[in-house]
Amino acid sequence: MIGWPKIGWKGRLGLTGWILGIITLVFLSYQWLPIFTLGLLSFSGPTGGTTFPMNGASFHWYQELWRATVMNDFKPPLLRSTLLAFACSATTIVLSVMAAQAMRGQFRGNGWFFYLMLLGIMAPGILVGFGFAIMMRLMGVELSWDTTTFLVQVSWTLPFGFLTMLAVFNRFDKRVEEAALTLGASRLTAFRRITLPLVLPGVIGAGLFGFSLSYDEYARSMFTTGPDATLPLAIMAQLDRQLTPEIYAVGTTTTFFSLIAIMLFTFAFWAMRRSTSLRKASSA
Amino acid sequence: MSTIRIRSPASYWLAVPAAAWMLGVVVVPIVLLVWVSFWGGRAFSMASPLTFDNYARFFANQTYLKLALSTIVHTATLMAVTGVLGYCIAYFLVMKVKSPGWRLALFLAFIVPFWTSTLIRAIAWVPFLGVNGVINQTLMYVGATQSPIEAFLYSRAGITMAQVSLYTMLAAGPVVYMLNAIAPQLREAAMTLKATPFVVFRRIVFPLTLPGVVIGQVLVFLNVMSDFATVATIGGNKHALLSNLVLLFYEGSQIRAASVVAVLLMLCMLVGVVVALRVVDIRRLGADR
Repeated sequence: MIGWPKIGWKGRLGLTGWILGIITLVFLSYQWLPIFTLGLLSFSGPTGGTTFPMNGASFHWYQELWRATVMNDFKPPLLRSTLLAFACSATTIVLSVMAAQAMRGQFRGNGWFFYLMLLGIMAPGILVGFGFAIMMRLMGVELSWDTTTFLVQVSWTLPFGFLTMLAVFNRFDKRVEEAALTLGASRLTAFRRITLPLVLPGVIGAGLFGFSLSYDEYARSMFTTGPDATLPLAIMAQLDRQLTPEIYAVGTTTTFFSLIAIMLFTFAFWAMRRSTSLRKASSA
Repeated sequence: MSTIRIRSPASYWLAVPAAAWMLGVVVVPIVLLVWVSFWGGRAFSMASPLTFDNYARFFANQTYLKLALSTIVHTATLMAVTGVLGYCIAYFLVMKVKSPGWRLALFLAFIVPFWTSTLIRAIAWVPFLGVNGVINQTLMYVGATQSPIEAFLYSRAGITMAQVSLYTMLAAGPVVYMLNAIAPQLREAAMTLKATPFVVFRRIVFPLTLPGVVIGQVLVFLNVMSDFATVATIGGNKHALLSNLVLLFYEGSQIRAASVVAVLLMLCMLVGVVVALRVVDIRRLGADR
């Protein structure tokens, strides 16, 4: 080939590896740098602006956050978002396990059911939120974060939990269940004692999806939340009013919160795996 | 035999709550949107006469048509960029990284931002893009420009930059999954038969990962088409895509116009998804091969 340096295909393979590696690392820093900058700037001094230089280092903006009242108080929205996320997580777990178990029963129309769930992922938040808001207006229902927003957010988190459970059940070893049933366990007992413990990591995954997607949801909440805003709404409203390092402080705090949530779930996942593997070892 | 009997009444009842929830919160409101978009008159009532006027008004306005076109161009650009970038990253992670420790570290580094708020990550781009932003300061420090470039914040380029960082993992994820599923024997067989690495990639690896590429593209497509938050954060009030138009009309209490744009947006997405579903069967993905 003209223009190519004369290297063998092994050399070229190595070269490809290097190029791809560099692309990956550059992208990684591209993805992380803004987040780090956000974190760094949130610690700038009281006179600090919204970009570099930092003008000193302090906890000023975090104190501001803590002291704030009325207009830019992020504490109530944070509480609302957290409660909402837990509620969505719990609902998602229950409904997605039920729905995935139903899919295993291959009921008539399960293909339609699957596409119905998929629609929840595909349908953009702006359309669902807008449509639901209109529906509530026609029905004369008052919008509120703990009723309408909850209903809409579960329609977003549920399909993710459902797909997770479906994937888990696809890989699930049916013979264990069959053994329990052959040994005379009722279907309910077999499900409770055998199936559920085995798919528990998947259940935790579904719960994590429920929590995280609800906690960060903006588009759906925007149309369906009443006067009491959730956290993303409060942040966006503050951004519209004025851009201060305070927003960076909120951003850093909430990112920190979601990281903690992920770690808790991951730890639960790990502990669960460990206990099942220990049980396996002790029964062997 | 399993814990649920095939076609048993129980399997119907277990599916009912989820189905009812999705029908009531997703399907009915969307149907409602279509209905409202045909409403004539001015009052917000179910008794409104049905007309095509709202659509006629939209299509008669050059500005809106241009906006629709630029939305499609913008989305296509992002699909191309994230598609290529995502494939490179996925290929590197699966095929080139051999040590399990590195693999886990890189995997975590990619996945952790994904679990944090998209809104916050979009806001995080603001200090980067401004006139005194990090990019401009760096460019001036290096000496690439004398005066700051104003073309980043509140511009299409800035929006694209932020969205690439937000959505590339959506394109890469499914490809990682498909690459992992390829049996190494397939590649070895081809190599034994004297295929060059490039031929192996073109004839074997790429066709096998095609479903992953398609799904990734669908995810990026849907997200970018409906992502008004990033556009609003970084584009300010200067730039809008179709989804921002929905919001703009909604805030102006022009429910009918907002519905029209929403329906058109939905049609675009529906066409995209239907085309993609013809290529791959999503239901097979979780199953063992």
